[in-house]
Amino acid sequence: MTSPPAYKVGDKIATQKTYGLALAKLGRANERVIVLSGDTMNSTFSEIFRKEHPERFIECIIAEQNMVSVALGCATRGRTIAFAGAFAAFFTRAFDQLRMGAISQANINLIGSHCGVSTGEDGVSQMALEDLAMFRSIPNCTVFYPSDAISTEHAIYLAANTKGMCFIRTSQPETAVIYTPQENFEIGQAKVVRHGVNDKVTVIGAGVTLHEALEAADHLSQQGISVRVIDPFTIKPLDAATIISSAKATGGRVITVEDHYREGGIGEAVCAAVSREPDILVHQLAVSGVPQRGKTSELLDMFGISTRHIIAAVTLTLMK
Amino acid sequence: MMANDAKPDVKTVQVLRDTANRLRIHSIRATCASGSGQLTSCCSAAEVVSVLFFHTMKYKQTDPEHPDNDRFILSRGHAAPILYAAWVEVGDISESDLLNLRKLHSDLERHPTPRLPFVDVATGSLGQGLGTACGMAYTGKYLDKASHRVFCLMGDGESSEGSVWEAFAFASHYNLDNLVAVFDVNRLGQSGPAPLEHGADIYQNCCEAFGWNTYLVDGHDVEALCQAFWQASQVKNKPTAIVAKTFKGRGIPNIEDAENWHGKPVPKERADAIVKLIESQIQTNENLIPKSPVEDSPQISITDIKMTSPPAYKVGDKIATQKTYGLALAKLGRANERVIVLSGDTMNSTFSEIFRKEHPERFIECIIAEQNMVSVALGCATRGRTIAFAGAFAAFFTRAFDQLRMGAISQANINLIGSHCGVSTGEDGVSQMALEDLAMFRSTPNCTVFYPSDAISTEHAIYLAANTKGMCFIRTSQPETAVIYTPQENFEIGQAKVVRHGVNDKVTVIGAGVTLHEALEAADHLSQQGISVRVIDPFTIKPLDAATIISSAKATGGRVITVEDHYREGGIGEAVCAAVSREPDILVHQLAVSGVPQRGKTSELLDMFGISTRHIIAAVTLTLMK
Repeated sequence: MTSPPAYKVGDKIATQKTYGLALAKLGRANERVIVLSGDTMNSTFSEIFRKEHPERFIECIIAEQNMVSVALGCATRGRTIAFAGAFAAFFTRAFDQLRMGAISQANINLIGSHCGVSTGEDGVSQMALEDLAMFRSIPNCTVFYPSDAISTEHAIYLAANTKGMCFIRTSQPETAVIYTPQENFEIGQAKVVRHGVNDKVTVIGAGVTLHEALEAADHLSQQGISVRVIDPFTIKPLDAATIISSAKATGGRVITVEDHYREGGIGEAVCAAVSREPDILVHQLAVSGVPQRGKTSELLDMFGISTRHIIAAVTLTLMK
Repeated sequence: MMANDAKPDVKTVQVLRDTANRLRIHSIRATCASGSGQLTSCCSAAEVVSVLFFHTMKYKQTDPEHPDNDRFILSRGHAAPILYAAWVEVGDISESDLLNLRKLHSDLERHPTPRLPFVDVATGSLGQGLGTACGMAYTGKYLDKASHRVFCLMGDGESSEGSVWEAFAFASHYNLDNLVAVFDVNRLGQSGPAPLEHGADIYQNCCEAFGWNTYLVDGHDVEALCQAFWQASQVKNKPTAIVAKTFKGRGIPNIEDAENWHGKPVPKERADAIVKLIESQIQTNENLIPKSPVEDSPQISITDIKMTSPPAYKVGDKIATQKTYGLALAKLGRANERVIVLSGDTMNSTFSEIFRKEHPERFIECIIAEQNMVSVALGCATRGRTIAFAGAFAAFFTRAFDQLRMGAISQANINLIGSHCGVSTGEDGVSQMALEDLAMFRSTPNCTVFYPSDAISTEHAIYLAANTKGMCFIRTSQPETAVIYTPQENFEIGQAKVVRHGVNDKVTVIGAGVTLHEALEAADHLSQQGISVRVIDPFTIKPLDAATIISSAKATGGRVITVEDHYREGGIGEAVCAAVSREPDILVHQLAVSGVPQRGKTSELLDMFGISTRHIIAAVTLTLMK
């Protein structure tokens, strides 16, 4: 990274816009960085890269299977550092290609935008709610789920430098920058973003739900309840050590909250990670049922993963 | 009558033109009210939609779901406002509902969903509509032997999707002359010109190369469209493609054919002026009544299919679950004549040939095109016309994950059977082994996931799937395994079986398929060492019988071991961990396939990748040491 990310705490920007800016910056650092797009340029900001490095931008039109295959081909023999961007939901079109890519020990990076119900108005066909399950099940695939602009930029650089497939999950809503430009990030290293002396519960969120969790923590602290909030940064590998030690420090009480279906995502990853530790209980919040379209805030609430639901889960957990 | 259909009179032509303009006006008002929407794609398709809905198609206005109706699929789902506008003109939607487009609690979404009675399958992920149209057309022509026709409207951008051409090949191969595909070639994709721009002759060449009867028409010329649709109805043995050359944003000054208006509504300030301009072109105040359908679909029943006789196996028989499913399907096919089986060129390997021999008229060979097979199955199952089972190597269903995802959104009622699951597939190597299919199907909403461990439970799974609404997936394996249940055993979704238990069980072991048998063998070994373990067969991984697992765990000191022929992520282990996550004092040790496998003998691979009897014994021993 030639210079630290150019954001400051409190700036509001969507992680899916950040990735576009970060790719363009990465493209200046190395001339073998290439970006492939599935006719979603306007929506996913890879047009920023296209304007700066047009000779390294490959428009793959509306054909996701082929885009992934082309990326695989581009990356063979180490000839390029390939990033392929699409709505995260449409990577499901290419699951077999991704599966075979892993078997090929491929070195490509996939960036999915419009994840979760927080995509909002465009409706469920455009929302990715199973992509974490898909990418987690791919052998040797690193799964990044950065929660702000700074961590997103770090994810891009880490992905470029990491062997094997990498997936970066990004969102549409504008969210606040919560890290400083000096913050360091590593794969498999979670960040404890809120903690006090007497934390009662550990809450784990990512992307928009990390911000919902922070807001819940604010509300709860006004009621005299202190909670610890963790940003996993990478869902695979998961920083089990940090999660377990945090859980132990908060009475074994863990809540996970994700903009994803229940199966195969953050909740199940955490449950599996703590499954051999006695006295840690996990309450999972996830999208319940097939969503419809609406405003982001309405959907987060309707489908069980908003600030209000986190507060309720904390309250319930403390009653036991 | 026929002359009128091909060449409508002057007045009808004008009414069709006016209706097209009213569709534009509705689309403008709706997208303006909601602040976004694919208005420009709606405007290019207005004449096509007008002619289809008010001249060509035969359907009951007040009963959109009737099985005799012609079917319409808007594959280019983001042009949903034009579809809603058509139903406003038909009278099934009120104008005020249309203005609530895309708000919370409105069923009028940006892309059509089957919450609406006139939508058979959800669209919005491009390139999938034609495959489902093929399923509907195949069912209409060969299974119902009925007169209704199927119309699918696609955009030019989406023709880049390979799935479109899989459907083209299928329709041609099966002579689906009751199917019409319309390409709205309006030149512009989301971010720029679609690859072929207005090269409509290239589309024509492609369609003809696939063996379709093809017409190239001016998509805004109502008379030409009427003629083309009428001619299509006269052509036998070939489906018809109509390549309609249009202009995106037609009828809206300064937006027509300009780049970068995709997804944008007309600014409010200009909307009224534009509506007035379009209104000024409307000459009549009349509506056309849609033609009534020919009522020749057979009455059928697809509910409550009972097993006519118990499964014909006895304890100890050795047979592969993937062979069993083939036999069970043939038996089911005798119980109900609407059961159909689709295959992805895996007949020999998956034993669906047994069904094909017995019920050849209900077997659909889909060749090596899994995306299309799933879409065709979805189409066959719409309006409850068939009970569809699609079989493939489980690993290759990953090729169709987007179609499955959209199927769940469509509340589809199809059954998928995956064979060759896990490393136990053995010699064919990892590309043929499914090690992530449980994660995929579990993450599909409302999908029931069966993982039967012997022939008897496999047959029950088939019958339960046939009788269960929503998608069902049945995971089957290649190795021969022993029958462990008696023919009288009853099975239910979400009901696990405790297949081994004693008085003083120390650990609960949960396995499925081949690993259930490994677990039973481990239990035998351990009992010789004086250690008693409880063994559970979950039968369905989703829904999981959490109650049985939790009570068993509590009865065995909170010690649970899971073992699965699947990767660690998203499978049985994680499902169990999640199910017990709020119960204190239950610890779960997960055994799963560790690392990318290679080929080998089944027993070698089970052992090499950590899920064999030996590994289960070691895990039990380790657990008891703590």
